[in-house]
Amino acid sequence: MASSDRNPDPRARFEAIYDQHVTAIHRFVYARVGNRPDAEDLTGQVFMRAVEQLDLDRPAPQVSAWLYRVAQNAVADYWRAFYRLPQIGVEQVAAAWEPVTPQPDPHADADADRAATAVRGLLKRLPEQYARVLELRFLHRLSVAETASQLGISHGNAKVLQYRALRKAALLVESDG
Amino acid sequence: MADDRSELLDQFIDALLEGGRPAPDGMVGDEAPVARLAAELAAAGDPSRGAPDPAFVEQLRLRMRDADAGISSVEGWALPAAAPLHRIRLTRRDLLRVGLGAAAGLAAGAGAISILRPSAREPLVGNGRPLVRDGQWVAVASLADLPPGAAVRFSTTAFDGYVVNDAGTIRALSSVCTHMGCTLSYREEWQDLRCPCHGASFNLSGYLANGSDGWSEESGYAGDAQAYPIELPPLVRPEVKVSGLRVLVWTARA
Repeated sequence: MASSDRNPDPRARFEAIYDQHVTAIHRFVYARVGNRPDAEDLTGQVFMRAVEQLDLDRPAPQVSAWLYRVAQNAVADYWRAFYRLPQIGVEQVAAAWEPVTPQPDPHADADADRAATAVRGLLKRLPEQYARVLELRFLHRLSVAETASQLGISHGNAKVLQYRALRKAALLVESDG
Repeated sequence: MADDRSELLDQFIDALLEGGRPAPDGMVGDEAPVARLAAELAAAGDPSRGAPDPAFVEQLRLRMRDADAGISSVEGWALPAAAPLHRIRLTRRDLLRVGLGAAAGLAAGAGAISILRPSAREPLVGNGRPLVRDGQWVAVASLADLPPGAAVRFSTTAFDGYVVNDAGTIRALSSVCTHMGCTLSYREEWQDLRCPCHGASFNLSGYLANGSDGWSEESGYAGDAQAYPIELPPLVRPEVKVSGLRVLVWTARA
């Protein structure tokens, strides 16, 4: 914003940028890690890094792109570190170290909504039972027991169905690449 | 067996849907795409649409002010052996050089290679002026407890950290790992701050010491079998000074 660009106090300028972006960045991260404690940690990482490294003199669209790029990398690191297991060899670690393709989205305020739309599109491509179990569990937030009862199957079968549905959906996402 | 796997995944999903932090315990690497998809689905089903908690937004604001006050006014205190206490104000560039020297010294001792992250040389917000001026000096340790190579843990209302004597330079470092916020432990043997959660090590200049750059198969780090696989920002370093025999740290009023 032009007014914040002209503010000579760097603290005020930085906080204006923070206020302008913190909600969108949190949503962006949350849509990818799915839980609040981790979304808050990663959002914190993005802005703590911004305190040290963000150049306030950049034009606003570049500032926005910088924040989304850092957030994107933080999410990629999160999923990498999450599955970092002691038995992984050096070669595999190196293989996991491919640079993340930056996908900064200057218009990502709508990102969370787009993610929800993408999820609904994904469910449509699944076999009906698979889509149902994921919809009941994740979108309606029913327990496994409630989901089983809705589907008229046993508790154990509901878990297995959920597991297979997620695997199938993950394969679809992967093949979309 | 698919049943065992679905059981673990179900625990993971329960944690997600209850709003908790899911633990990957027992899950295997090739489950990552499935877990990731579960996380995205859980996010899509959240009625709040991932809006941040207002309390979190304000807490992060305070942390940033505190960090900025510390980082942008980094100051080192040199305590040469057998010389009068001598105050040296270092610029950030000087500190990087000092840090590089310390890292190289460590590397020689540990048979490892340590390189500072180039990203840390980017310009600071506000050209070195702290964003927060409303802080205070808090005494956190006695000089007598800080011979070379020693560290003292401290806690103020606004900040938790260590003061260390890095080969004659007194420095204050945050004790919060910049990865997931676990509390770092000081390891005198390796002269580093080690994260118990995922094994990041920070040198006494505050930089990640066991990252993948500079790692080779012959000379790893501190007996680690592999490099820490991700890049982490350096630890927050509040300003520190010595007054009389006390070590004081500049921290935000909380």
